[in-house]
Amino acid sequence: MSSLVLKMAWASLARRPTRSLLVVLMIAVSLWGLLLMQGIYDGMTEQMISNAIRSDAGHLSIFARGYRLDPSLDLLVEPEQGPAQEVAGGLGNEGPGLAASLAADPRVASHVVRLRQNGLVATSHYSRHAEIIGVELEGEQLQGRLADYLTTGKYDFGPKGKGAIIGHKLAAKLQVRLGGKIVVSAQDRAGELAGTALRVSGIIRTNNMGLDENAVFIDLARARGLLGVESGVSQLALLLAKGYGEEDLAALQGELRAGWPDLAVSRWDELYPALMQSRVLMRGFSLVVSGLVFGVAGLGIFGVMLVSVLERLREFGIMLAIGAGLNTIRKTILLESLLMGLAGFLAGALAGGLSLLYFRRFGLDLSVFSEALAEFGMDAVTYAIIRFSYFSEALAAVILATLVSVYFSLRVLGRSRPMAVINKG
Amino acid sequence: MLLELAIRNIRAHGRRSLLTILLGAVSTGLLVFSTAWMDGSHAQMIRNAVEIYPGYLQITGASFRESPSYEHLIFDVERLSGLLAREPGVADSSPRFESFVLFARDEKAVGGMLTGLVPAREAAVSRLRDSLVAGRYLEKGDSNQLYLGKELARRLGVGVGDELAFVGSGADYSFAADRLRVVGIFQTGLFDFDAASAFMAKDYFDTIMAAENQATHIIVQPRDPGQAPELARRLATLLGPEYQAASWRETMAPLVKAMEIDSLFGYLTLAVIFIVIFFVIMIYTLLLVYARIREIGIMRALGTTPGQVLTLLLLESALLGLLSVLLGGLIGGAFAYYYSVHPMVFASMEEQFRQYGLAVSAIPAAFAPLVILRDMALMYLLLLLSTLYPIIKVNGLPPIEAIHHV
Amino acid sequence: MRKNGLLGGVICLLLLLPQPLWASEAQEIITKVVDNLDGKTAVLEFRMEVKTRRSKRTMTMESYSQGHDRSFVKILYPRKDAGITFLKVDKAMWQYVPRIEKVIKIPASMMLQSWMGSDFTNDDLVKESSLADDYESRLISEDERSHLLELIPRPEAPVVWGKIIMAVSRAHYLPEKVSYYDEEGGLVRELYYREVRKFGSHFYPSSWQMIPRTPDKAGHETNITVIKATFDEPVDPAYFSKRALKRFSR
Repeated sequence: MSSLVLKMAWASLARRPTRSLLVVLMIAVSLWGLLLMQGIYDGMTEQMISNAIRSDAGHLSIFARGYRLDPSLDLLVEPEQGPAQEVAGGLGNEGPGLAASLAADPRVASHVVRLRQNGLVATSHYSRHAEIIGVELEGEQLQGRLADYLTTGKYDFGPKGKGAIIGHKLAAKLQVRLGGKIVVSAQDRAGELAGTALRVSGIIRTNNMGLDENAVFIDLARARGLLGVESGVSQLALLLAKGYGEEDLAALQGELRAGWPDLAVSRWDELYPALMQSRVLMRGFSLVVSGLVFGVAGLGIFGVMLVSVLERLREFGIMLAIGAGLNTIRKTILLESLLMGLAGFLAGALAGGLSLLYFRRFGLDLSVFSEALAEFGMDAVTYAIIRFSYFSEALAAVILATLVSVYFSLRVLGRSRPMAVINKG
Repeated sequence: MLLELAIRNIRAHGRRSLLTILLGAVSTGLLVFSTAWMDGSHAQMIRNAVEIYPGYLQITGASFRESPSYEHLIFDVERLSGLLAREPGVADSSPRFESFVLFARDEKAVGGMLTGLVPAREAAVSRLRDSLVAGRYLEKGDSNQLYLGKELARRLGVGVGDELAFVGSGADYSFAADRLRVVGIFQTGLFDFDAASAFMAKDYFDTIMAAENQATHIIVQPRDPGQAPELARRLATLLGPEYQAASWRETMAPLVKAMEIDSLFGYLTLAVIFIVIFFVIMIYTLLLVYARIREIGIMRALGTTPGQVLTLLLLESALLGLLSVLLGGLIGGAFAYYYSVHPMVFASMEEQFRQYGLAVSAIPAAFAPLVILRDMALMYLLLLLSTLYPIIKVNGLPPIEAIHHV
Repeated sequence: MRKNGLLGGVICLLLLLPQPLWASEAQEIITKVVDNLDGKTAVLEFRMEVKTRRSKRTMTMESYSQGHDRSFVKILYPRKDAGITFLKVDKAMWQYVPRIEKVIKIPASMMLQSWMGSDFTNDDLVKESSLADDYESRLISEDERSHLLELIPRPEAPVVWGKIIMAVSRAHYLPEKVSYYDEEGGLVRELYYREVRKFGSHFYPSSWQMIPRTPDKAGHETNITVIKATFDEPVDPAYFSKRALKRFSR
């Protein structure tokens, strides 16, 4: 029975090859376009988010309470400080320190500490506001692969830590080149003016605009000496280990907040709310566009199925007359459209998947379209993302569009009473 | 003759024709409205960003924009203002003197921009007055009254009625300092601007800063903001080489570029949607033409030449396309017009816009008849192209086969 | 003159000597120059004239200093600025403005801004005397009248210059001309010391002139003329406290 239905469905598709092919092609091409669009737009937002996480926020960032409103060297995080707990005679901080407990936590892949202070960076011609950020290069590399952002120079502060890695926009404004001297000055912890000369050992482009315009990364130990800060850091940023997700992040954040109530523990999207909004907006946008595309494609399938049903009213009448059930006819029609839908889906998914694979591997250089991309914290080359959900959702949408269009065709079939048609014939 | 036949055919197949027209019309409407929406939102973002403070047209001393120092000031504001007042394209103009100073409360000092302006004239070239959130805007005759950005007020810890001081350098490089009293606090939504800007009445400002008849900028409000670039060119020749006149297209170049990027993605997305539409129309045309294949076969058998049939079919699709495009243009245009009068409100997207230094929440569509006509023409072309293949294919069938086609 | 003979006698020997002696000789000269400029203590009254392409302003001020770590400056003229005081202790700098009755600590971000609209920066005032500490100096040439020194910043010294060339008169061990260069060797500004006069027992250049040599500052110059000077007399230490800013403002 079912093989008969299949044969009939196939035969009727093959009878109108141009028409069937056009439908398949329509589904395939639109799916291809959609997949490309999704994969590349997602790639773009995720790249921006990843830039922010890698270069600054981590998945979680820990500051002293009040630091973000008024950054100062008086508001520091002590990585050695234990969690707040009740001890004899009140509250105390015992047990393993913050850094130690993060290191021991399987959910935490890595963490880095940074000492930050606003100050001035100058050459003999120019001076500009800058943020001096004391970092440990090895840790930053482990956590954020910071070295990948280097455009020129070395990922190294030199044997005596006299190097500095600075943002590319800052470098342009100071008109300083690799190896050039910069003088950074800032108020130290005692409120005195402290300064030192450094050589630019690297220039960095993170596409995190704040860093590209202001950051002067220097050796953490050197920053401590310069700023007179023996212990404590401004920021502790941590990265979640692979296999842990949003819920683990929220749980970890909750635990840290409970254990260290005097610290502010913020998720990356609390530090960069605009990025999270981009992600949400992009998803909404994709949904609307996909809806539109599949809606229109559904209209195409509907037209073909309707005509194919109307053309065959006589056939169906004869089939009913020789005892085939109305169900068989329904199944044939359904199968016909499903076959077209699936063929289109397969072709489109294949083309889309292959193109996405290509763009994931080699990236898409959007700077051909617009030079302005780079100025807005976007990478010129976007690497596509491929998610299984693109395909499963597209399959569901194709099947849905097919079913809906078949449903309406069948209603027309029901109304035109095939038996009556042969009698008229 | 063929035209009459074509019209008769269209009318004879009323339902099919209607379906074709509807499909084309909806697609055209979609294109027209999407474009209107995109252009409208971009224009609105730019308008906001431009009108909040920078203004449509800035006049500065030559090379001030490249190296903003007191060396490149406008030294004869009175004369320029007179010239500008006589220029027919200029609606209003207002001088500003911007200067980097140190604001101090207690011993804490915060760097920022102190600007002297003419309160009433400024209100005609920017939205500074409308950005008031507490206290009052500046008035003529104010002396040391200060109109302060909300974030800067927060950084300094002052509110309306509080006093603070500034030290800076006057136009003649002399030392300048005074005590100021906050009379009003503004918030434009541009964080960096609100965190670093303060304003006072220029008359008094000039006495402290030795800036009489001098300005860093004169902001010009064109009668027709759309003509700002042309006006800038005219003013540049009028004012001579000592001055620069730049429209928002130059002063806000990064923003213009941001909108360019947004349009790029918008059009890429539209392209995907229109590929599908193209196919659907092609499929429908194919169905409609095949439905008439016997009729075509008979015509051919009766001696109508293939060329005549082709012309007839093309004429039909051209007529149908025209009707679709006209209807769609009307529908899309109507939507565009409605939303240009009643902007859509997006309260939740403000943070997203702020990233670009924009402060927007209500976005109107752009109602531009010329753009609508362009989109209609584009769509018409697409419709004709999509019917071409089915028509040619059908016309290629031999007459006998066509008659027997089931 | 005493040194001249000595040097003339051992000139051949010196050529064979290793570099450090040259260097330490230069260092000695610098130390001497700095000491001569600062004195143990100094009380000066001077006129500062700031010229730009389109304006010229004159101010007079008095200054009290002790060594090179502490100094106090008060503006006497013009009247609108009279009573503004500056205090520098080590590397920190404060300013008092009677018009706003406020003491302001000059923040790091303002250190490279112009001081009172002149071609000197706040930083120049604070670090003017770091010549001896922040630079490696080397004698590059000398004649009967003067030594020519080259000062290269020590690697970590917080100075923006690539190098400084200083001509020092042998007569009084006072600078005659100081040229500031950027990293690429481009001349950025020049400071001239002229008209050495005798104030008490102390020789001192009574005219200073700073001329920026970069195109954006064309036409600018700052001239300082010393009107009165007293050296090595005891100065009331009260001048070097934050309270002095207000107290000595009147």
